[in-house]
Amino acid sequence: MKLKTWILTCLMLLVLAKGAQADALSVDIFGPGQNKVNILVLPARGPGGPGTSALAKSFAENVQSDITYLPFLRLAYMNEILGGDPSRGLKADDIDFKPLQLGRIDLVMTVGGQGQEIEARVYETYTRKLLVGKSYSQVTEGGVPLVADRFAAQLMRVLTGKSGFFDSTLAFSKRVNGGKELFTASALGRGLTQITADGGFNVSPSWSKDGRFVAYTNISDKGHRLGIWDRGRKVSRLRKFAGNVAISPTYTPDGRIAISLSLNGHPDIYLLDADLNPGPALAPSWAIGVSPAFDLSGRKMVFCSGRLGGPQIFMLNRDTGAVERITYEGSYNTRPSLSPDGRFVVFARLTSDGHRIFIRDLVANQERQISFGPGNDEDPSFDPDGYFVSFASSRNGGSKIFVTTRYGDPAKQIPTGPGDAMAPAWGVAPALE
Amino acid sequence: MNAKRLIGSILMLSMLVALGAGCAKKTTDTMPASATKVEISDKDTDWQSKPAPARSLTEDEMRAQQREQAQREVGNMIFFAFDSFELTPESRDVLNAKADALKKYSLFNIIIEGHCDERGTSEYNLALGERRAKAAQQYLNQLGIPDSRMTIVSYGKERPLDPGKSEASWSKNRRDEFKLGN
Repeated sequence: MKLKTWILTCLMLLVLAKGAQADALSVDIFGPGQNKVNILVLPARGPGGPGTSALAKSFAENVQSDITYLPFLRLAYMNEILGGDPSRGLKADDIDFKPLQLGRIDLVMTVGGQGQEIEARVYETYTRKLLVGKSYSQVTEGGVPLVADRFAAQLMRVLTGKSGFFDSTLAFSKRVNGGKELFTASALGRGLTQITADGGFNVSPSWSKDGRFVAYTNISDKGHRLGIWDRGRKVSRLRKFAGNVAISPTYTPDGRIAISLSLNGHPDIYLLDADLNPGPALAPSWAIGVSPAFDLSGRKMVFCSGRLGGPQIFMLNRDTGAVERITYEGSYNTRPSLSPDGRFVVFARLTSDGHRIFIRDLVANQERQISFGPGNDEDPSFDPDGYFVSFASSRNGGSKIFVTTRYGDPAKQIPTGPGDAMAPAWGVAPALE
Repeated sequence: MNAKRLIGSILMLSMLVALGAGCAKKTTDTMPASATKVEISDKDTDWQSKPAPARSLTEDEMRAQQREQAQREVGNMIFFAFDSFELTPESRDVLNAKADALKKYSLFNIIIEGHCDERGTSEYNLALGERRAKAAQQYLNQLGIPDSRMTIVSYGKERPLDPGKSEASWSKNRRDEFKLGN
C-alpha cells in the first residue's frame, strides 16, 4: 500500500512537472485561448558593459519590429520593471529574474555585440531556462534585418513549432507603368524584387508547392494568357488557351494547375495536364466558376461560383465528386483560400461597409469576421501554417498588403514600397537565398 | 464617289497650300530676309512639281479618316447593372446601331472589352467582364456579325474609366468598350 502510494505520487509529480514544463515552453497558436506572452528586449550590451556596436542595436530594433508581427507576443517596456534594467550581462547568471517575474514578463531577451559579431539569447523568466541562443559573425549593416528575421523565426519555432511566416516568400501584383507586374518579397517585405516584365496586367499569382514556379494571368490586348514564372531560370512563358479567359490559375499540391477557362462558352475550372492541356472540368456548371484553392491533400477544392445566382463559395470533394455550398450569408462571397488541413476557409464577403475577410470553420460550422476595413479587404490567402492570413486592403487609400491571423488579430501592413500592391500568395521557398 | 474624291483632293490641296504658306510665314519671322526668299521659292516649286505624293498621302489620310469614322460609329460603349451582364434596352439600341456600322465598315474587326467597377473582387470580375463582352458579342452575332470579326478581352476592374468612389463613377466603369482591331 505504502509502495503504491509512493509510486502514484512519483507518477503525479512527473506528470505535473511535464505539464509545467510544457506550459512554460510553448505557445499553442492554434489553441482556443490566445494568451499573449510578454517579452522584454533588454538594451544591447557590449562585451564589457553597456556600450555596444550600432549593429547590435539595430539588430535588437529589428527583432522587436519582427515581434510586432507575431500577435501571440507582446513587447513589454522597461518601465514595467521595478528598478529598471535587471541585467549586468548577457547570460542567466547576470540577470536578476525576480523583478521580471514580478512584472509578469514571461520572456527576456539579451543582445550583445562587438564589431561584426552579434549574440542574442531569450530566457524564460520563471524557469531561467535558455529558450534560444544564437551568435552571428561577419554581419554587415545590410544583413542585420535578415539576421534579425532568422532569429525571430527561431524564436517562433521554439515557441510554437511553426515558422512558415518567416520561411515563406510572398508573390503579389503591383502597379507598374499603368499596368501590373509580379513582385516577390519576404512576409516582412524584405528583398522586394520585380520578377516579371510582360506588359499589360499580371494578376492572381499562385506558387507551386515546391516553390519553383509562380502561375499567373497576363491580360493585354492579346487577351488572357497563363503565365508561368520559373524561379530557377528567372524567366516567364505565356500560354494562350481557346476561349476568352484564363483566370485564377492555382497550383495543386501535386504540381498541376487548375484554371478557369471558357471552353464551353462560360468560365469553368479545368485541371491542366503536364503539357498544360485542359483535362475535364472540375465541378462544372452553367455559370461563372473561378478562384480554385486546395488543401494540402489536394482532394478538397474550394472555389467561387455563380451557379445559384450571386457569387458564393462552394467546396468540391474530388474523391466523391460532391459539391457542397459553404457560404449562405451575404449575396457576394468570393476568392476563397483553404487552410492546409482543409478545416478553415477564408474568403471576401461584400458587406454594407465594403468587402471584409471572413473565416468559416468547416468542422465547428461557425463563421466569423477577421478583417474590419475601412475600405475594401480582399484576396485573402492562408500562410503555409494555416495561421496567418494575408490580404489586400484599401484602408489607407491605395491598395496595400496586410497580414492578420485566423483569429482576426489587428492587421499589420507588409512593406511593399510605393504603388498599389494586391493579390498576395504564399510560397514555401525561402525569400532570401 | 468620284466627285467626292475630287472635292476631297481639292480640299486637301488647299489645306496643304495654307499650311505651306503658314510655315513659310513662320520662317520669315525667325530667319534673315535673304534666306526667307529662297525658302519661299523652294516651297513653291516643291508644290508644283510633286502632285503624286500629295495624292497618295490623301489616300492614306482617307483610310485613317475612315478608320476614325468607323471607330466613332462602332465605339459607343454599353453599360451594365452591378454584378450583371444583362443587356438593357438602351444597350440593345446601341448594339443595333453598332451592327449596322460593322456591316458598313466590313474591313474592320473589333475587340470587345468587358470592364467592371471596383466593388467586385478581382478574379470574379475578370469572369464577369468576359460575360459582359460575350453578351454583346452574342447579340451582334444574332444581328449577322460573324464571331470571327469579334475578339473578347476581359479587363475586370483593372482599367476603370472613372477613378471616383461613388455610384456615378462605378456605373461608368461597368461597361463594354468596342475598339477596332487590325
